[in-house]
Amino acid sequence: MAAPKMSMGKPTADRLPCNTTSFQKKSRSKLVSIPGTRPSIQNGQLIVSTGVTSLDYVIGGGLAVGTLLLIEEDRYDSYSRMLLKYFLAEGVVCGHELYVASALDHPNDILQELPAPILDDIASPKTVEDQAKSCDPESQDAMKIAWRYQHLPKVQTALASSSRFGHYYDVSKTMDTEICQAARCHGFYLPEHSTAVTSPTATRQSPMPETYSSLLNNLQEVIHREGFDGSVPQTKSRNILRIGLHSLGSALWGDDLCCRENPSHGHALTTFLYGLRAMLRSSLSVAVVTVPSHLIQNRALMGNITRLCDTAIALESFRGSERETNPLYKDYHGLLDVRQLPYLNCLVCDLPDNKDLAFKLKRKQFTIERLHLPPDLSETVSRVSRGELTGTAMVGSSGCGSGSTGNRHLDF
Amino acid sequence: MLLEVLQGTEAGGFILIQDSVNYCGRHLLKSCINTALKREEVVHVLGFEVSQEELNDGLDRTSAQRLHFHNAYSDPLGWTGNSPFTVHQFTLEDIGTLLKQTPQAKAVTLVIDSLSWILRHHDPAAICQKLQALKKGGVVRAVIGLLHSDLHQRGTVGSICHLATSVITVAPGTRGLGAVAKITRRTKSGKLMQDEEIFSINEDLTVTIQSKRSHPGSTPMNTDESEVDPTAHLTFNLRLSDTQREAKEKLPLPFVFSKEKKSALLHPGTGSGRILYEPDANDDYDQEDPDDDLDV
Repeated sequence: MAAPKMSMGKPTADRLPCNTTSFQKKSRSKLVSIPGTRPSIQNGQLIVSTGVTSLDYVIGGGLAVGTLLLIEEDRYDSYSRMLLKYFLAEGVVCGHELYVASALDHPNDILQELPAPILDDIASPKTVEDQAKSCDPESQDAMKIAWRYQHLPKVQTALASSSRFGHYYDVSKTMDTEICQAARCHGFYLPEHSTAVTSPTATRQSPMPETYSSLLNNLQEVIHREGFDGSVPQTKSRNILRIGLHSLGSALWGDDLCCRENPSHGHALTTFLYGLRAMLRSSLSVAVVTVPSHLIQNRALMGNITRLCDTAIALESFRGSERETNPLYKDYHGLLDVRQLPYLNCLVCDLPDNKDLAFKLKRKQFTIERLHLPPDLSETVSRVSRGELTGTAMVGSSGCGSGSTGNRHLDF
Repeated sequence: MLLEVLQGTEAGGFILIQDSVNYCGRHLLKSCINTALKREEVVHVLGFEVSQEELNDGLDRTSAQRLHFHNAYSDPLGWTGNSPFTVHQFTLEDIGTLLKQTPQAKAVTLVIDSLSWILRHHDPAAICQKLQALKKGGVVRAVIGLLHSDLHQRGTVGSICHLATSVITVAPGTRGLGAVAKITRRTKSGKLMQDEEIFSINEDLTVTIQSKRSHPGSTPMNTDESEVDPTAHLTFNLRLSDTQREAKEKLPLPFVFSKEKKSALLHPGTGSGRILYEPDANDDYDQEDPDDDLDV
């Protein structure tokens, strides 16, 4: 008897405020109840963290559910792979389901390399504060500032939003296998799926289209079976599916995009991306795709691929380039370029205030910072010579003005 | 680092030797084969470019029975019909049967001389997939391939290099001394190591490292910097001695708020505001009360 009464009482209680006033609280309780998500400040879209707090900040708070993030790989795929692992690790910590597809490594191998989360929520901001505190007296010792300038805010190089979203990870350790196994994960390892598909098609027909279509079919099946698409009635609590697709478009997917200027299946990857995006839009899922863009010969095709994704960032590692030894970049490991930001439910997207971004991989975390010259505290190096360094670094011509090198520093 | 790569300490590797018309990488490949033979490994060579006699020349005679040469040099496309190995047999199944002909439980190294020939007759994407399958398959311990990079499009070379765990790019050395090898090596953990070394290959196919150049770009920058010393000939003094510097640092700067100054201003002492006055004879002291006209 009590139970029906309760159920009867609830709707009337809900309706009562409606009778007194037309004001209705805009409730998002259904969506917010998914752990690891929150509505965006800009447009109210439900967003999830990429696992890297500063990357979240750069792309406008986080990844909107139902969108696609394209990461253009750095030359040796070390940092892009790390970003993908961060994205997956964040999913594990938040209890999301994962879908990993790769042609290079087995998805289980990728999952075993996930970075360990720093779960002690109080400890991690404290260490940041401690660092700042330990920095402060040092800088006061090092430099005397007139008192009226002492309380000016410091230039913040590290990018972070005021409220915390996402977790921090320790790159040096891998995630506990217990936590890893608790997460529901679907893997797609191309050699396992394609052997059945490609062996009958040895009749000179390129296996290209099948690899992508089998991936798309597999993904669709997972989304449908696990109830991530909106069509399934809401029986159990909703969850987010995080999709990580590694090195799409490389030769291992049977795509000659990377090998030829005019690939024989130039539309294969773009067609796949159309299908993937349509699927993402109608389901509670979010995807990260890495593409070896330095290998793709046709720039127009790369442009098409970028336009078909919602957010696009490019990583450029200093490894192996002459920038590695340039003193300008000595604090960083590479440059990050935001190629494209999504326009979601509005006409404008929030552009980052600074486009010169660089990333560095510290022992504990991956951070994206504004690229700027470090303060020059030594007395021997003058500011002018650093300016010249940047000049030579940009132009690459050190021969100019060689006749006036003698009195260049004495120009006052 | 070249020697470490040649020693091949890690299993499941794919070593790519990239050469061009300026410098031939086959000598390095042969010394690779030689070190593998010395490690008591079974070496299978898919030979497309040189005959067996030419390849065997200079190799270790004592371990010749562990070297298996699959001759695709005499008839690479199978026109005569009785070729031992053709370029079309570069599939996983055929290579598997080739390797099984020698029933040994030892580690097997597969040498491909050269990948350029195979790339001519197969789809590059398919080659990449096969190489990756060979690398992962566990049948072979290591795959060593020679690639003439100037014969192919940049994208094809890039894709193959992307797969390799170690890439050795050889080029002729400056002033005709030895050769320069640029080595890029990826460890299993994803760490990347790069090095540039000048090497030479001896008569017995051993490799000698002559010198190393770890950071090629850093040296010219420093020499330019050291040439100019603007403070060398000055008519005035720019430097401070230690005592001078100490004296300078003692001086409080006008707009610097030190701790003492701040506390003195914020917490004045209790008796600090008293005025001590001792009347003097010469003081012009007015006896009259200045306010006596007021009716207070």
